Amino acid sequence: MKIVVTVKLVPDLNASKSIDPATKRLVRAGAETVLNPYDEYALEAALQLKERLGGETSVTLLSMGPQATQETLRKALAMGADDAVVLSDDVLAGSDVAMTAAALAGALKNIGFDLVVCGGLADDGSTGGVPGALAEHLGVPGLTNARHVEIDDAVVKVQRETDSGYQVVTCPLPALVSVTMAVGEPRYASLKGIMGAKKKTIAPLCASDAGVGGLAPKTELLRFAAPPARTKARVVEAPDGATGARAIFEFLRERKLV
Amino acid sequence: MQHVVEVVEHRKGQTRKVTFELATQARDLADRLGGTAHAVVLGSGAAELAEQLKAYPLDAVHVAEDPDVDAYLIDPTIDYVEAVARAVGSAVILVPNTMYGRDVASRIAARLGAGMVADVTGFEVEGGRVACVAPKLGGATITACAFRDGEYGVATVRPNAFAAQSGGAGARVDAIEKPPGRRYAMRIESEVEEASDELGLEEAPVVVSGGRGLGGADPFRTLLKPLADALGGAVGASRAAADAGWVPYSLQIGQTGKTVSPKLYIAVGISGAIQHKVGMRSSGTIVAVNKDGAAPIAEFSDLVVVGDAFAIIPELTKLVEAAKA
Ligand SMILES: Cc1cc2nc3c(=O)[nH]c(=O)nc-3n(C[C@H](O)[C@H](O)[C@H](O)COP(=O)(O)OP(=O)(O)OC[C@H]3O[C@@H](n4cnc5c(N)ncnc54)[C@H](O)[C@@H]3O)c2cc1C
Ligand SMILES: Nc1ncnc2c1ncn2[C@@H]1O[C@H](COP(=O)(O)O)[C@@H](O)[C@H]1O
Repeated sequence: MKIVVTVKLVPDLNASKSIDPATKRLVRAGAETVLNPYDEYALEAALQLKERLGGETSVTLLSMGPQATQETLRKALAMGADDAVVLSDDVLAGSDVAMTAAALAGALKNIGFDLVVCGGLADDGSTGGVPGALAEHLGVPGLTNARHVEIDDAVVKVQRETDSGYQVVTCPLPALVSVTMAVGEPRYASLKGIMGAKKKTIAPLCASDAGVGGLAPKTELLRFAAPPARTKARVVEAPDGATGARAIFEFLRERKLV
Repeated sequence: MQHVVEVVEHRKGQTRKVTFELATQARDLADRLGGTAHAVVLGSGAAELAEQLKAYPLDAVHVAEDPDVDAYLIDPTIDYVEAVARAVGSAVILVPNTMYGRDVASRIAARLGAGMVADVTGFEVEGGRVACVAPKLGGATITACAFRDGEYGVATVRPNAFAAQSGGAGARVDAIEKPPGRRYAMRIESEVEEASDELGLEEAPVVVSGGRGLGGADPFRTLLKPLADALGGAVGASRAAADAGWVPYSLQIGQTGKTVSPKLYIAVGISGAIQHKVGMRSSGTIVAVNKDGAAPIAEFSDLVVVGDAFAIIPELTKLVEAAKA
């Protein structure tokens, strides 16, 4: 069975972020590139499946983004993925959700898959739209927000988070799932994994080979501005409960919130 | 883009305020575009809810009470929404920015070859083009994002961003014909409720949120719930609290949980990590109760009370209850 995990390389969230006024794209220079934290959970879910299914199961990483950041993928390979494909092309720069999903779909058709595992959300200001759109483009069932994934006899069974709990949903392979962080903490790479990762393949793929040379984004950033600044907080020390409670109550009064 | 189509989220006919906010916004946007305003209501309870929607200024409510919508995940829904969108013609599609809404949006956008903008808090119409105002990068920037050419655009709209206003012509209710020849694969085997969820967290006017500082599940019931009730709000949580199993994940606020923007957000025993901040920073007033005055939450709160939550919160609840009496 072939599992493909989509992983995005994103600027470290803890570093400061800005948009370049000229290109209207995220400034990536200077910020350290990391594996999108959510995608580590997707990979963890895939590796758990591989362990349970055994046999011929393989886990391939697929990432779309600048060629230069691909060394970050070694970390995911060290965790236990078998190989990686990087979809990278100048014509794909500035992709929005629609274009990213269409491009990844092209790449997935090129690579082949039984199961695609996505993270729930990319850290760099994205919106979690890619998994659903990707399933649609691939024409396969798309089970989003899975917190537990099982495969038995080519049937996928997930517990899917909902607003008020979860639902159990089944479907046949091939399929796509996106996971939540409840699938389990991502494992650490072992020393053996780290050494082994150096020998694993990271294969480049260009837009035309993926059959997605002619894509264009469907949205356009017109403007952006800083949100209205919040005034500095009022700070009150509360040596006892009554003092603290009174301070909050009076503050809420002032603001007509009680 | 000329018309506006709202996709309604509900459970067996029970819906939330955001449905009516979107209906109101659909009318407003349609008027600015010179088009018509529609709602799509699907699944069990749809007909009943459509009657309720007649009180809002829509031109048409499209209904299908097909059991497939409840038995299979998302696919039947997308088929019906597509059918309505194609029948209506060039349109902006509005869904609530909730788990359900984001699923619908991503699928229907891909189906229609449309662009998608998430977490929208405003619309601008410029030269016939629709631009969506949306906070991005976790609220650090407010963007205006336009749909490029194309027939359709899809926006997930933040609850509480628009007012709901009834009134208007009384929409006509149409039955949607079942798209022919479809077989669905994602079967919903069972449903488990973990949180009562009387009040949608995303649209509660007040959120009282707890974190690791509360130390266990009980304080969410004994400390936070009474305060939330007194303030007419809902209880939320940080991821640390959900991870510890003290509350279900459906109460988690933040990057990988819910985005809320209530009038009042009270963070109790929450440090204010960036992943939490992005889910609540646009709240009207933010009050933090924390033992540690140097916790990051202090940097984006309006009031920081440095002290023990276990001593402060019960006293505060008494004051609020007394004021109401
Ligand atoms: C990919 C990713 C996604 C994430 N998504 C989210 C998300 O969606 N939402 C989210 O919340 N987090 C998220 N996190 C986790 C986030 O980074 C923090 O770990 C988490 O928010 C911390 O929760 P906390 O503030 O409750 O706990 P802590 O950081 O441990 O803070 C507890 C606070 O309680 C205070 N305290 C202790 N005792 C008391 C007392 N008696 N009275 C008053 N105050 C007290 C302490 O001073 C401290 O400030 C995510 C992390 C990652 C990596
Ligand atoms: N450029 C990309 N390359 C690979 N995977 C991606 C890319 N963008 C998004 N994804 C996948 O889609 C998920 C959701 O991303 P998004 O919809 O952008 O928030 C991520 O967690 C990834 O699994």
